[in-house]
Amino acid sequence: MSQAFGIVNFAGNHIQVDGLQEYRPVGAFSFLGRYRVIDFPISNMSNSGIDTIQVYIRRKPRSLTEHLGTGRHYNINSKRGKLHILYTESNMVSDIYNTDIAAYIENMDVIERVTQPYVVIAPSYMVYTADYSELLKTHIDSGADITLMYHSVDTAKEEFLSCYTLDINKQKGVDAILPNRGNAKNKNIFMDTYIMKKELFLDLVTKAHKMSAMYSLVDIIDEQCHELDVRAVPHRGYFASITDFKSYYDANMSLIDLKNATTLFVNDWPIYTRTNDSCPTQYFDSSSVKSSVVSNGCLIEGTIENSVIGRGCTIKEGAIVKNCVISSDVVIGKGVRVENVVIDKHAKLIRGKRVIASPDKPGYIKRGDTL
Amino acid sequence: MKQNNMLAMILAGGRGTRLHELTKKMAKPAVSYGGKYRIIDFPLSNCANSGIDVVGVLTQYESIQLNSYVAVGRRWGLDAKNSGVYVLPPREKADANLDVYRGTADAISQNIDFIDTFSPEYLLILSGDHIYKMNYAKMLAYHKENNADATIAVIEVPMKEASRFGIMNTDEETGRIVEFEEKPEKPKSNLASMGIYIFNWKLLRKMLMADMKDNDSSHDFGKDIIPVLLNDGKSVYAYKFKGYWKDVGTIDSLWEANMDLLSKNNELDLHDPTWKIYTEDVTSLPQYIGADASIEKAFVTQGCVIDGEVKNSVLFTGAKVAAGAKVIDSVLMPGSEVEEGAVVQRALVADDIKIGKNAVVGSADSEHIELVAKRVKGEE
Repeated sequence: MSQAFGIVNFAGNHIQVDGLQEYRPVGAFSFLGRYRVIDFPISNMSNSGIDTIQVYIRRKPRSLTEHLGTGRHYNINSKRGKLHILYTESNMVSDIYNTDIAAYIENMDVIERVTQPYVVIAPSYMVYTADYSELLKTHIDSGADITLMYHSVDTAKEEFLSCYTLDINKQKGVDAILPNRGNAKNKNIFMDTYIMKKELFLDLVTKAHKMSAMYSLVDIIDEQCHELDVRAVPHRGYFASITDFKSYYDANMSLIDLKNATTLFVNDWPIYTRTNDSCPTQYFDSSSVKSSVVSNGCLIEGTIENSVIGRGCTIKEGAIVKNCVISSDVVIGKGVRVENVVIDKHAKLIRGKRVIASPDKPGYIKRGDTL
Repeated sequence: MKQNNMLAMILAGGRGTRLHELTKKMAKPAVSYGGKYRIIDFPLSNCANSGIDVVGVLTQYESIQLNSYVAVGRRWGLDAKNSGVYVLPPREKADANLDVYRGTADAISQNIDFIDTFSPEYLLILSGDHIYKMNYAKMLAYHKENNADATIAVIEVPMKEASRFGIMNTDEETGRIVEFEEKPEKPKSNLASMGIYIFNWKLLRKMLMADMKDNDSSHDFGKDIIPVLLNDGKSVYAYKFKGYWKDVGTIDSLWEANMDLLSKNNELDLHDPTWKIYTEDVTSLPQYIGADASIEKAFVTQGCVIDGEVKNSVLFTGAKVAAGAKVIDSVLMPGSEVEEGAVVQRALVADDIKIGKNAVVGSADSEHIELVAKRVKGEE
């Protein structure tokens, strides 16, 4: 049992994933066929022994609350533990005030009642595996006030553009938290993952709230960097940030390679998700499937190459699916050719014949659309 | 219980000797089927989908896995208030010594006290080792309609095979059973008993009490209880079932039942969203299909990794087919692996078994399906 409780935070209002986000928050995005993005932070917490988890939702709660349910599929002790879904009700109207701080302020009494002395905060829009119990130990041993996790990348010019970066000094202390302006290749991308004492957390939230109605936790910690002992711990392994449409597509595509996937799906670290009770996938005589990740419940007669296929999809005879990321219950009709496209749930491509986008600007087909 | 006043008891003590190594440490109802299921998922899911809330599972032979598996009633949604799956192995009682279940009827007799705690009006008796989808609520409606004392589900089998079954001879107009013949040499009808019975509990209870004391009885539903019912002139009706039904007794028939899933629009239709079969929820990855893979006619589930060739086969959770390997007309049970260059043909590879590099198992023209239950060493 952990000394920390968990907070799974929503994507701030500077993050916009075109298309998909119109229907649900990033945490509820379908990921690699059978998962939702939020399964990763919650499984990390559960596997780290954290059994009190608060999930904050900013907008469009329907699909996320449906997916989370009571949270028992995340393997947290259903008596001692709890998955708590929290909203910011008063700020739903004006999104610019809809910050994480506003959500924490509104739910202050709930947070105060938690008995664990530490808090682990992780985002609902990043995909990685990390053992928070190790991170907590590092944090306690170091005597730091706040520990932040980051991932060093050499693609910061083109990617992670909605993320923050950490300025780290030689003593592993954090000097500043700055937006990634895309002006350098090598950056320490802040994983929006924090550990600190609950008391300090509440203190910072109160301070931030007094300073500006638009402040978020990042802003206040950046401001307090020199008064507090803020340290950084590097993360190794797979890391993706779902902060724009391209990064969503790329993250899915990057996991088609099983070797790469094993840097995310590590042994004895299960990623839990809600079961759909789909039967296995049926491949017919005419099917040809290569370099793809396929979920259960599909009926496949056509050709699939280098794609991610969600649960319960039908790929009819003569259809060609290439470099696509397909959510659940999608139908690709006879002879339809589709390339470099993200297809949202329940869409039907029956008479479209050809839907082809370019690999660097993948296309998007809306939920439930019939083409 | 309130829903329809019917309690289900699943007979799951069977040994399944002809499944050889598959049932050496595991009762037949726990054997894997259809990529991700165990056979007992079928009667349990049928119960859940038919609105039956209380299910007793009678276990006996090698029951450790089976007991812990069925005890988690949540898997089938059988965990609401006044609902549950009850594991019922033989037990010692205040007024009786520990005794094995001497027959199918005795298994129920020894649990009369359990059934009485729910005081059901109807008792549904099921087999734990049959693969089929059936709405028991419809069967109960038929039972009530006829004001029957007992109703037996029957399925039409080819006349030439009828002598392998318990055959019900019925009045064609009313469906009332006039005669029951166990494996008749000259069958008069092709209506085979599926081993699915609905009884009025009060009547059955009385009969079981008598049967327990009868030293000449073999305490079996087919051999003892049903004949007595008919001799006593009770009204016993045959409920005709149409659809897929399979009793997998042998390696060949288990293989065949898996192969049945490969044809288009097959009768069992596991894709039907209105009658899902529920099973254990595993955390395996989705299926990973490699760059050089070739899949033609296959039923594949999560956790599988396919880099080789798969043709006309069923792959269970976590089965792996390495590059250059071939799996043809075969069944790979959970966790089995076929290494590089190996060829598996007309075989059933048991749970967690590895077929080494370049090894060859089974053959295209074998009479029977080869069961591979030991690691096959590879040739480098």
